[in-house]
Amino acid sequence: MAMAERVRSGAAVVGVGVGLAYGRHPVLADASFAVPAGAVTSLVGPNGAGKSSLLNAMVGLLALRRGELRVLDTDPERARRRVAYVLQAAKVNEQLPLTVREVVTMGRFAERGPFRRLRPADRAAVDDAIERLEIGPLVNRHVDELSGGQRQRVFVAQGLAQQGELLLLDEPVTGLDVVSRHRILEVVATERAAGRTVVMTTHDLSEAADTDHVLLLAGRVVAQGAPAEVLTAEHLGAAYGGRLLRLADGAVLLDDPHHHAPGHDHTVCDDDDEPGHPTG
Amino acid sequence: MHWLLEPFQYEFVQRAFLAGALAAVTCALIGTWVVIRGLTFMGDALAHGVLPGIAVAFLLGVDVTIGAFVSALVMVVGINAVNRNARLANDTGIGLLFVGMLALGVVLISRTRSFTGDLTSFLFGSVLGARPGDIALQAVAAAVTLVLVVALHRMFLAVSFNADKAAALGLRPRLAHVVMLALVAVAIVASFRTVGTLLVFGLLVAPPATAALVARRVPAMMALACAIGVASVGIGLIVTYHFDTAAGATMAATAVGIFFVVLTVREVVDRLHARQPLPER
Repeated sequence: MAMAERVRSGAAVVGVGVGLAYGRHPVLADASFAVPAGAVTSLVGPNGAGKSSLLNAMVGLLALRRGELRVLDTDPERARRRVAYVLQAAKVNEQLPLTVREVVTMGRFAERGPFRRLRPADRAAVDDAIERLEIGPLVNRHVDELSGGQRQRVFVAQGLAQQGELLLLDEPVTGLDVVSRHRILEVVATERAAGRTVVMTTHDLSEAADTDHVLLLAGRVVAQGAPAEVLTAEHLGAAYGGRLLRLADGAVLLDDPHHHAPGHDHTVCDDDDEPGHPTG
Repeated sequence: MHWLLEPFQYEFVQRAFLAGALAAVTCALIGTWVVIRGLTFMGDALAHGVLPGIAVAFLLGVDVTIGAFVSALVMVVGINAVNRNARLANDTGIGLLFVGMLALGVVLISRTRSFTGDLTSFLFGSVLGARPGDIALQAVAAAVTLVLVVALHRMFLAVSFNADKAAALGLRPRLAHVVMLALVAVAIVASFRTVGTLLVFGLLVAPPATAALVARRVPAMMALACAIGVASVGIGLIVTYHFDTAAGATMAATAVGIFFVVLTVREVVDRLHARQPLPER
């Protein structure tokens, strides 16, 4: 499909022949794909498949080596202000003496820039995000006093407060408690209902199966489309190789030695697309 | 009370207090970010890296402050270049720059025999000899630091939270990082005459680190760090006056001493809280 055609088709993000690399280590090659607007898309794939790198490229944090990437009908860097990016919680400096409210308020800096004062509308956006993630009782607490799940809800609230047209979530529910996981996935559903586009990376295939659109990556695009079309044994086998176990009842498990999360139907694994870990 | 106030009746002690207090405020404002971002080793390297510039300026008969400033700029550029090279851990490159610049400074100084006394004053400061010109320079440095720290608060906050997030929010983390390093350089250059290049690091790190043990928000941490820094200068001067100790070193030791006292109190309080029985249901 040509680029112009994809843009006309109402895609929020369109990639044609996208190539990404850290230094000399390629993480994604010749990726052509479309992220449908107003829907939830999950990026799935093994360790180092290029999931986080692709999110970074969508906000212009990682420059393209090859190909073309259009985000909200413009370049990733120009679209940046309209895109809310929620990083993996582990990558955030938790030693910073900030209250939960201050962290969420940071989301408004995208709109207000480094100097302009916050208006009542900005405060309302912050309050709304706090309420939706149910972190009201925590607003005066420090981030380092929170549990992993509470912390992740704070970071998602920060992304929501930005009120972007496109919400990017890097492993938003990996390893979280049931309450936080449920809250975040519910917020994702509400965002979709409001017509916004959500892209999230995940290792959990059951979670991916609940989204509208799946992009299966393994250093390239293995498959894309509706979950039922993408999450087939054949495609998963191509993406995960020998780490795939098929059970008698038809369920599929990932046997990944890097990461076993208890309590999930499907084993999840670490994703790390940083330099020095070129496994994909 | 008289014992405490007695030193301050002398004009040179008043000048020393003013110079020291301005140095303490400048260092506390930017030192807060140094501590929050875990850049203390880099701050230490910058503080010692100004020595060759001072030596060259001294040999050429130029104002040593200009030499220190040029040297600090070379360090900032060098540290940035090292940071960009992913093959080396940041602290390896900073450590090499630190030792290299310090060694170069001492080599240059050792070429001139008349320099020994001045070397001591550069390393340990001469706060009791603070002149009005030094104080004016420190006042300007303190004002510039205060204005930039307030104006760029969001940028500093975002880059400290996460550089990628800062970039995604359009808050230019690289610029924020360079301005931060430049302000550390300003604090060091403006303060080395007072507390010396070896001890300026004490004012840069100890008061903010102490404040971090108590304060829950960045502005509170800065304000408390300023107060602790100024108190260290005052206490240092009183001790120096009565016990005839080296002024710069006494101030730095006081600042570090306060840190350990607060750390100990904090530990004791935390343990007492931990021992309290849970309320009955």
